[in-house]
Amino acid sequence: MESIIELQNVTKKFKNKLILETVSLSIPANQITAIVGKNGSGKSTLLKLIAGLSKPNTGEILFQNGKPIRIGYVPEVTPAVIPFTLVEYLTHMGTIHGLHKEWLWQRINTLLEIFHMKEDRNNRIVHFSKGMKQKVTIMQAMLEETDLLIMDEPLSGLDPKAQTEFEELLMTLKERNISVILTCHEAKLLEKVVDQLLVIHEGQISHTSVQHEQGEIMNRIVFELSNTISISTLKDRVIIDKEEEISPGRKLIELNVNEEQTNMIVKEFLNRGASIKFLSPINKKETIFFKQFLKEGER
Amino acid sequence: MKGLIHYFFANYFRTYKYVPPVSIFIIILVINYSYTPNPIMSSYSFTSLMLFFIMGWVVITIFHMEDKNQKEITIMHAKSIREYYLALVINCIIVGLLFSILAVAYPIIFNFFSPDLRIAHIVIGFFAHFSLSLLSIALSLFFTREFVKNDINTWWGVISILVISLVLAVANIDILKIKLINWFLPPLRYSLDIMSIDDEVIHLSGQIYREFGWVFIYSLILISIYIAIVQKRRII
Repeated sequence: MESIIELQNVTKKFKNKLILETVSLSIPANQITAIVGKNGSGKSTLLKLIAGLSKPNTGEILFQNGKPIRIGYVPEVTPAVIPFTLVEYLTHMGTIHGLHKEWLWQRINTLLEIFHMKEDRNNRIVHFSKGMKQKVTIMQAMLEETDLLIMDEPLSGLDPKAQTEFEELLMTLKERNISVILTCHEAKLLEKVVDQLLVIHEGQISHTSVQHEQGEIMNRIVFELSNTISISTLKDRVIIDKEEEISPGRKLIELNVNEEQTNMIVKEFLNRGASIKFLSPINKKETIFFKQFLKEGER
Repeated sequence: MKGLIHYFFANYFRTYKYVPPVSIFIIILVINYSYTPNPIMSSYSFTSLMLFFIMGWVVITIFHMEDKNQKEITIMHAKSIREYYLALVINCIIVGLLFSILAVAYPIIFNFFSPDLRIAHIVIGFFAHFSLSLLSIALSLFFTREFVKNDINTWWGVISILVISLVLAVANIDILKIKLINWFLPPLRYSLDIMSIDDEVIHLSGQIYREFGWVFIYSLILISIYIAIVQKRRII
């Protein structure tokens, strides 16, 4: 498989503390790579090295065909205060990047459409929700037609709906042949969309594996139900991502199920008195997903 | 680079962090010229020293206007750490230039000086303000968060270096008479010496240009050292 970036024996120290120790890895082109690891394991440092924001102490970072590639970077935390409207901010970032004015305006309009943010174009970013701010930081990274998009903890703080939207976005990026490398605390949050999973532990890439079966279509469902209802029999058939008490006697259950099982699982939960709070495809475009509910003639 | 300078200026303008230093500088000017007529050189000397301290404040607010995450984004778009910091320095210099013009023009426009104001007073007054602004920028840079992680230490650091520079400029200590040491100390004394000349006898001489020139060169050397260090360290 063709790789877009290769790290060879990269070591990074910070204040004499070894963060990364002789790390060698390759990032495949046109695929989504996730780096998983605990806090302080060196995930962000690795991304900064790849982005060129930091220099390795030893080792080499090689680009595809030896030429520099176009990199978009999404930091771990969305900037606290951006005192501009969405369009002003993107225009500033694009101008700093050296993009031609007319091309930039067209690109901004395209991004506003892709991210469903057209109506917010002239609103101040400080008034945006966390999910919207996250989108803004991804949009700025895509101002140039990037070869590689680097995202540091893109799921942090996103609610289930925003996470699903983000997974859809990753699918869109993949369709546009953009390589993505991102960090994540929990592998299972993105396991349906990532192609390569790298586990970082004590400064070393300790495990590399290719996860999901290509083409398997999954749905994310969030149910609300009473604490007293048992779902132990269902646990054998589905993987429950999250279970949390939201009020006395009530809990939220978040799970991913494959498309074939969705109707059956929904029915079982409804029979137990649960209500659906959220239902969305993970790795399928919304338009295609909703077509399944249309009558034959309307499709 | 033009895009970066424009972005930083717009960002600084929108964050309103300029309001406290601008307000205080304007208040200082208004109070200083509340009685008329005023001596020209000593008035300009005082306001240039005030500007020396105010610019330390301006430097920190300009360099800290972006948080760490936005800074990473901006550097990625700029594709150059050197240009990023240079644009920030240029923004500080623009503010210093505007303040210098304001400080020199305000008493002239409102006729606060005695009638014998000459071109030499205006030129020297402008050099005094602008050179001390530049010197303040150069000294304060080394206390921004690229070098000092803790915000409180940043403020103490800036105040301390500016006060120490002033004390060294006015102190009469034997060790300061050694020429070699003087080359390394902030050349605040040159400006103060020039500004202490009587209003009547002032004229533009080669020595005045040389002494202000050294303040500019000293400041530019410090700014270059700062940019070289941050570029080499890739402090993110």
